Amino acid sequence: MNLIEQTRQQADALFNQLGLPSKRDEHWKYTDVSAWADALQAEPTSSNIKAENLGIADLDVYRLVFINGVFDGTSSNLPHDIDILPMSEFLSTHEGQALEAYARLFDVQADAPLMNGFEAYNAAHATDGAAVCLAANSKLDKPLYILHINNQNNIVRHGFILGEHAEAEIIEHFIGTDAQRGLSNMASHIILQDGAQLQHYRLQQESSKQAHIARVDVKQHQHSTYTLHAVELGGALSRVDVLVNLAEQGASCALHGLFVLSGRQHVDHHTRVDHTAPHCTSNETYRTVLDGRSHAVFNGKIMVHKDAIKTDSSMSNGNILLSKHAEIDTKPELEIYNDDVLCAHGATVGQLDDKQLFYMRSRGISQEAAQELLTFAFADEVLAAMNNDVVRRYVEQAAFAKLPHNEDIEGMLTT
Amino acid sequence: MLVVQDLHAEVDGKAILKGINLEVNAGEVHAIMGPNGSGKSTLANVIAGRDGYKITSGSVTYKNKDLLEMSPEERAWEGVFLAFQYPVEIPGVNNTYLLKAGVNAQRKHQGLDALDAFDFMSIVKEKAKLVELDPSFLSRSVNEGFSGGEKKRNEIFQMAVLNPSLALLDETDSGLDIDALRIVAGGVNKLRSADNAIVMVTHYQRLLNYIEPDFVHVLADGKIQKTGDKSLALELEERGYDWVKEEA
Repeated sequence: MNLIEQTRQQADALFNQLGLPSKRDEHWKYTDVSAWADALQAEPTSSNIKAENLGIADLDVYRLVFINGVFDGTSSNLPHDIDILPMSEFLSTHEGQALEAYARLFDVQADAPLMNGFEAYNAAHATDGAAVCLAANSKLDKPLYILHINNQNNIVRHGFILGEHAEAEIIEHFIGTDAQRGLSNMASHIILQDGAQLQHYRLQQESSKQAHIARVDVKQHQHSTYTLHAVELGGALSRVDVLVNLAEQGASCALHGLFVLSGRQHVDHHTRVDHTAPHCTSNETYRTVLDGRSHAVFNGKIMVHKDAIKTDSSMSNGNILLSKHAEIDTKPELEIYNDDVLCAHGATVGQLDDKQLFYMRSRGISQEAAQELLTFAFADEVLAAMNNDVVRRYVEQAAFAKLPHNEDIEGMLTT
Repeated sequence: MLVVQDLHAEVDGKAILKGINLEVNAGEVHAIMGPNGSGKSTLANVIAGRDGYKITSGSVTYKNKDLLEMSPEERAWEGVFLAFQYPVEIPGVNNTYLLKAGVNAQRKHQGLDALDAFDFMSIVKEKAKLVELDPSFLSRSVNEGFSGGEKKRNEIFQMAVLNPSLALLDETDSGLDIDALRIVAGGVNKLRSADNAIVMVTHYQRLLNYIEPDFVHVLADGKIQKTGDKSLALELEERGYDWVKEEA
């Protein structure tokens, strides 16, 4: 048995020990996954999805497509001389150190923060995933667009390993083709070596009956930079755990989250940033706009360890409830074990600002349009951090389509 | 154009306006002066339609219509404009888009076609010059990161683009240094015409050196205590407000 098989077997043992999280679990008390428990282990059957015209148009990218968790070569477009491969191919073509590094991404530990049965199951049973290994000092000349098309159960595990001073932009996009009930169990494990830079997009637009459970686990070495843009628009239920370990000095991360929810959608993000080393920076901004009977959960924890002097950390979570039936449970947390830090955190839950509304109305904007415009502006502020304009426009339009709106303000945004 | 009759208004149960009478005709410039807390800003805000004021009696008629029945946006469409004392910042809403939507909503109300982007931008550029507003401000979020003076300049720029019949300037001079005051006042003067009217709320006579009023009213204790011409403002500057109240 090779290293990776062994590691995966251990993960399966951990899954058997942990089982699936329940509402008795502190970190799962707002998110009930029991309705999807039976779906976890269901085998995907073949599908007749055609991927060619799906996803974001007008992107000049390398393209990696997974249909229900299985690599789809015909609709993918991969570079030739760079290590970007589906998992199966990576495993059959690599050995030695490269394989060892990759195998470590399957190593799950019971005492890791926010460890749960989904992650253990994913490590043990993922059917495929992207293996991205960028050499030191290399820069990916085009973004990598990973499109997941799901209408059944699927289990995917990505590994992104960026060598020293390597740079990449990776866009993960999750879409559904129809409203069949399924479970997406996703993981992205990321290692950034010294000075590496990653722009990471996660756009969740699964179909309306799908559950999306994911773990994003990032380890950062010296002076590396990680930026996440996590957008939640689709699915019936979505739970994403984001873990960033600023393990060596000078590393920095920025986490941007936007949820635009309606109907009975439920989205829960738990983020955990560990400042383990000195002189690291983390910035976290999450915003939610909730309509209907939707429910959002934000739990952001920043842990500043004893040696992490000169930590600079901020976290903010802003929420707008458009309906009296919508619910947000927000909990920003700071745990600090040294004195030499700069930390700020806060959460707001609110209606729109009366002064801003009156100002706009006094300029001739109808009350309805002013409310819609302010709501959109509130959401759009998070998107302003996106470097990729095509992705930003796409998300803006998708978010906008989910918000109540009339044609007047649409004109204001596209002009 | 504007007739205010025996207007009483309160905030949180406290009477602020206690019987205001005021008539403003096209082509006129009125200055409303008075001590802090006399109700000057309340009057401007009630006319513009801000929430939070309870009108307990009296009426406000504008172009022969009942203004108090109208929403703030309807008042804007009918040509009422308020230049705010403290213009609010609106991150994420583009200054120019806001104005374009406002102008086109007004045009729709008047039965006119929307302006296209080109026509609108040519108006915007022309009006920006009027108050020497740096064109880079046009593409920024409304008032975000503007200095106090820039915010006030932006108010007068918006006034120029929206071209109101009745402009209410609420302490437009406060927080302006002398150069900025000259520019802002110059902008207002260029907008004066026989068809529109301006009501300025101010503490200081200083502004009136630049924008010459036809009438000066002293508002104190919720009532207009005295009305005169611009010489009244000079007298107030010299003698303060107390004598006006005593006289009344």
